[in-house]
Amino acid sequence: MTREKETTLYLGPQHPGITGNMMVKLKVAGDEIVKAETHVGYLHRAFEKLMEARTWMQSFPIVCRICVPEPDPNEENFARAVEEIEGREVPERAQYIRVLVLELARLASFGLWFGGQSGSAGLYTMPQWTVGDRDYILDLFEELTGGRVYHMYIWPGGVRKDLPEGFTDRVLKTLDYLESRLPAIDNLMFDNAVFQKRAQGVGYIDPKMAREWGVVGPPLRACGFKNDVRIDEPYEIYDKLNFEVPTETGGDVWARALVRRREYDQSISIIRQVIEKMPGGEYYNKVPNPLTWTIPRGDAYVKTESVRGEFGYYVVSDGSTKPRRVHVRGPAYVHAVSLLERILVGANIADVSFIMNSLGTCPPEIER
Amino acid sequence: MALDLKGILAPFTALKQLGKPPHTVAYPMVKKPTAERYRGLHYNELDDCIGCGTCSTICQNGAIDMISLDGVEGKTGDSGLRPRVDNGRCCWCGLCVDVCPTGSLSLTQEYLYITDDADSFLWIPGVDNPEGGKLKSFYPESNAQSLLDYNRIPMPELEGMERIKSYAEVVLGYNQEEAQAEAERCISCGLCVEACPEHMHIPEYINAISRGEPDMALKIIYDNNPLGELCGKVCTRRCEDVCSIAVRGEPVAIRWLKRYATEQANNIDIIREILDPEILPPNGRKVGIIGAGPSGLTAGYYLALKGYDVTIYEAKKHAGGMTMYGIPKYRLPMESLQKQIGYMESIGVKIKFDTKIGVDISFEELQKEHGAIFIGIGFEVPYTLGIEGEHFEGSIQAVNFLREVNAERPVEIGQHVVVIGGGNVAIDGARIARRFGSDVTILYRRRVADMPADWEEIEGAEDEGVKILTQAIPLEILADKNGKVESIKYGMAEMVDDGKGGRPRPRLIENDEHIMPVDNIIGAIGQEADYSFIPENIREQLEFSRGRMVTGELKETKLPWLFAGGDIANNTADAISAIADGYKAVKGIEKLFAQKGQE
Amino acid sequence: MNDIKQELLAEQTFADQIQKTFKTAGVRVIRKRRIEVVMRADLIPPYLTHAKNQHNFEHLSHISCVDWLEEGHFELVYILWSYTMEMQLIVKCRIPRHTPQFTSIQNIWEHAGTYEREIHEMYGITFAGNDNLGDFLLEDWEGPPPMRRDFDTVKYSEENFKDRMDARQDAQNVRETITKRSGEDMPDFAKPYSLR
Repeated sequence: MTREKETTLYLGPQHPGITGNMMVKLKVAGDEIVKAETHVGYLHRAFEKLMEARTWMQSFPIVCRICVPEPDPNEENFARAVEEIEGREVPERAQYIRVLVLELARLASFGLWFGGQSGSAGLYTMPQWTVGDRDYILDLFEELTGGRVYHMYIWPGGVRKDLPEGFTDRVLKTLDYLESRLPAIDNLMFDNAVFQKRAQGVGYIDPKMAREWGVVGPPLRACGFKNDVRIDEPYEIYDKLNFEVPTETGGDVWARALVRRREYDQSISIIRQVIEKMPGGEYYNKVPNPLTWTIPRGDAYVKTESVRGEFGYYVVSDGSTKPRRVHVRGPAYVHAVSLLERILVGANIADVSFIMNSLGTCPPEIER
Repeated sequence: MALDLKGILAPFTALKQLGKPPHTVAYPMVKKPTAERYRGLHYNELDDCIGCGTCSTICQNGAIDMISLDGVEGKTGDSGLRPRVDNGRCCWCGLCVDVCPTGSLSLTQEYLYITDDADSFLWIPGVDNPEGGKLKSFYPESNAQSLLDYNRIPMPELEGMERIKSYAEVVLGYNQEEAQAEAERCISCGLCVEACPEHMHIPEYINAISRGEPDMALKIIYDNNPLGELCGKVCTRRCEDVCSIAVRGEPVAIRWLKRYATEQANNIDIIREILDPEILPPNGRKVGIIGAGPSGLTAGYYLALKGYDVTIYEAKKHAGGMTMYGIPKYRLPMESLQKQIGYMESIGVKIKFDTKIGVDISFEELQKEHGAIFIGIGFEVPYTLGIEGEHFEGSIQAVNFLREVNAERPVEIGQHVVVIGGGNVAIDGARIARRFGSDVTILYRRRVADMPADWEEIEGAEDEGVKILTQAIPLEILADKNGKVESIKYGMAEMVDDGKGGRPRPRLIENDEHIMPVDNIIGAIGQEADYSFIPENIREQLEFSRGRMVTGELKETKLPWLFAGGDIANNTADAISAIADGYKAVKGIEKLFAQKGQE
Repeated sequence: MNDIKQELLAEQTFADQIQKTFKTAGVRVIRKRRIEVVMRADLIPPYLTHAKNQHNFEHLSHISCVDWLEEGHFELVYILWSYTMEMQLIVKCRIPRHTPQFTSIQNIWEHAGTYEREIHEMYGITFAGNDNLGDFLLEDWEGPPPMRRDFDTVKYSEENFKDRMDARQDAQNVRETITKRSGEDMPDFAKPYSLR
């Protein structure tokens, strides 16, 4: 085979398969990628700078906007970082409610991922189903928090409002429904010969590389590592719950898909446990007047397991009413820049967005 | 390669979904109701809103402006401004709702806002959706859900029965931690500033305290009130009545915070060191002040700072006026007053004690010596009750009683005492009488809620065992054969509408008269001034109304060189109003000399 | 008290070990699973290599930068995690604001290069050894490094987007309205204490 002439191809930022506003500049020979470069900068909103000009409480509604598919780990991280620096206790009930919210958010986010992963392989039925089913979770969020996508609910000191009357029953009902949908999803996606063929052996990550390149979440677990922030460094009440951390050894898109599929089951199980164990009591340890609330000088790095992996916040206080620095560490920051650039080499053009989806690429958290 | 039959057929099971009903609704024919907590467009209950602007301050997107609206007038306790939301900026976080002290602001179920003008996202909640009140969905269901703290840090006090053993100060004062916690409740709206007669910079000194800078707080307080500590202890605190936190909770303890800040400077040297006052060189202008009460002292202090040669003439032994001789020492200790006045003297205010105008020095002489004269003599002559038997031995007046006690002159008082009146003087009289070991009953014509006295004073009196008999009108004082008070006859009253929409008035119930045996009766139904020291020819040129001197904006009288302030020249008759008068008179006196200079 | 000691035993032992090897470092156990190490800047690359190779801190979670404008330095924060020790190591150093230069650690962790690109762009710090410090998030940006504390966003907006505020010129300040209406004389020294 003669070597094809190399051309430059700009994939994105408006390509329908690309997850958000991001562009991958490809050097291709035929349909094989020779070199890939991630270009971001299409939606930098300077949230971190904005927070430096806002009080602690004013910063709270901003953070969720860093990630659309799964805003809650942002709220969780911000709240927990502030609480750690200030030394503020969070009531037990609030911790249970937080986990309930975080796991619901995982389910909602998985709904988008099922759609995105299948959609980018040309399987367009799946997004119709799972994004639709996600709306039932958004209904729950609307009922609990007053907002569907951006909840602004987990805040320093606890959560904003208590569970509404009969809420957990409706959660359980929704879980039953979501579970009842899984056989159809499995039939369409995981048992699908075409999907399997597309996913197996594509976007391979070497286990050693996964460790050293800062890979986290399902891509790391798909390389055989049983690492999950919820287990490695349990926050809130995760240490009181029983759940498994699924792993695979394939290191490819298929392995990552299987890991996520099994994590979906785990999240459903976690929510059921949380509801069963939900204690009574206070849901909020009230913070002082938000106009004058100061946090003592100090810093904290906190992390939450999002569907894409370790979601970290490094928060610094200089002892004033405003954060000195809030620095967001999203998993996509590593996955979609240095890692993506590497594993796209040798891949087929048609697989770019497919691989990006499997890595959990989320441009808004790269740029913030 | 084996054929993956399952892998090929399984996806076709999706066809089963075809027959199922859709999950979507046929909008706009069918509308899905929003959740109970849904955060939609704003609504504002315009009549409940007091325009404090906290929503605008907390808004992290700068989406809320405070604007004037037609038909909404500002008044004390209401800025007259109302929020307008820029729906192009709002992110519906609802922080504005959570900090709204009145609870007037809420988010509604509505989420559609359609306009053909992309620039017109400006929306006035309550005006643009007058019906929005029916659609409220996100609002604080209880005070606990608010971001604000509606509960005051309790003020440590001596226990009621412990107090009556001495004249020790009842209120013990906040420590730093308590003061900071209480100061942190303030939302700095500034509505209180308008209610304060002196317009002290309240949010600013409270914020200084909350930042842990009591020295700065002291500086801000002294900017227009040289008797901050006095006010911190005994002010009538109109500010707290309009505190925006008080709409749904307990007002910020503005008075106690002022007390905290001023007490940190516990001697004259420290006050001077902190304030480091700028005293202008003498300008040769002489001002005479009659009466060393709060109004005269205030005028004297600020004039002295500005380089005036100020002399205050005080008829009694000590300065302070009614605050010295009228207010009991358990509320305002002598040392506190002495410290504040001593500081004033240290910056150049001269006070001539035991100097009565018209006796020790003539008014004319005073007039000759000074370019301007300020009168602040206060109300010292008590009203009589106007009932039979008032002349009997044992029937006394509260102001006289308090004056004698405060001057540490011997006073005798019997076992059973009745105080008549419902103002602060009545309560003071009753609480002092308790300290003599007497059983004290207050007789008041109306209800407790109608008492003009400070509610904390009323509570304090009750804690100390003072009994309050309301809707009781004294009818006659009865005496024994020696002319000594023996009992009081009073009639019970019912509250009836005054017919003019005002507060109800008491009407005697027929045949419901009682007699209570007493040893002393203390009248406390008001006071008036004694103007006899002002020469006839001058008095004729002045205007009086209901016993008060009529003065202008800067406390000037009909005579350009004569100013008046305090109880004799305002309708509120309290220390802070007197201080405000003194402060205004300084401006008037400066203006007078400036005009003189031009001539 | 003993329980607390027991709970942090692993952390304390490890902290003591670091202190022994790097005598000039400030080592502190923040809480369970959190250890802070403050070092001289030139020791950072060798120390990070040491931590990665000797103590299994193979996962670089994050690199952050804090501008301590008033104190005249940038603080670089390297956040590492050891999967075996289950500990988060927070390594900090300061570099002077007037010479914002440092060494790249891309040779230790490949993805560190991406963090350095952002810090270069946002704070203007160069990393010797990283040859990919070009545009990242801020293509076509010509202003100063925007995350520096002396970059005034409000001023920048006022200069560049003034026309956007026209429709809202009628906004009033509540505190000023009260001052004006009541005739309060607000001295200048009190104004910074107004929250409004």
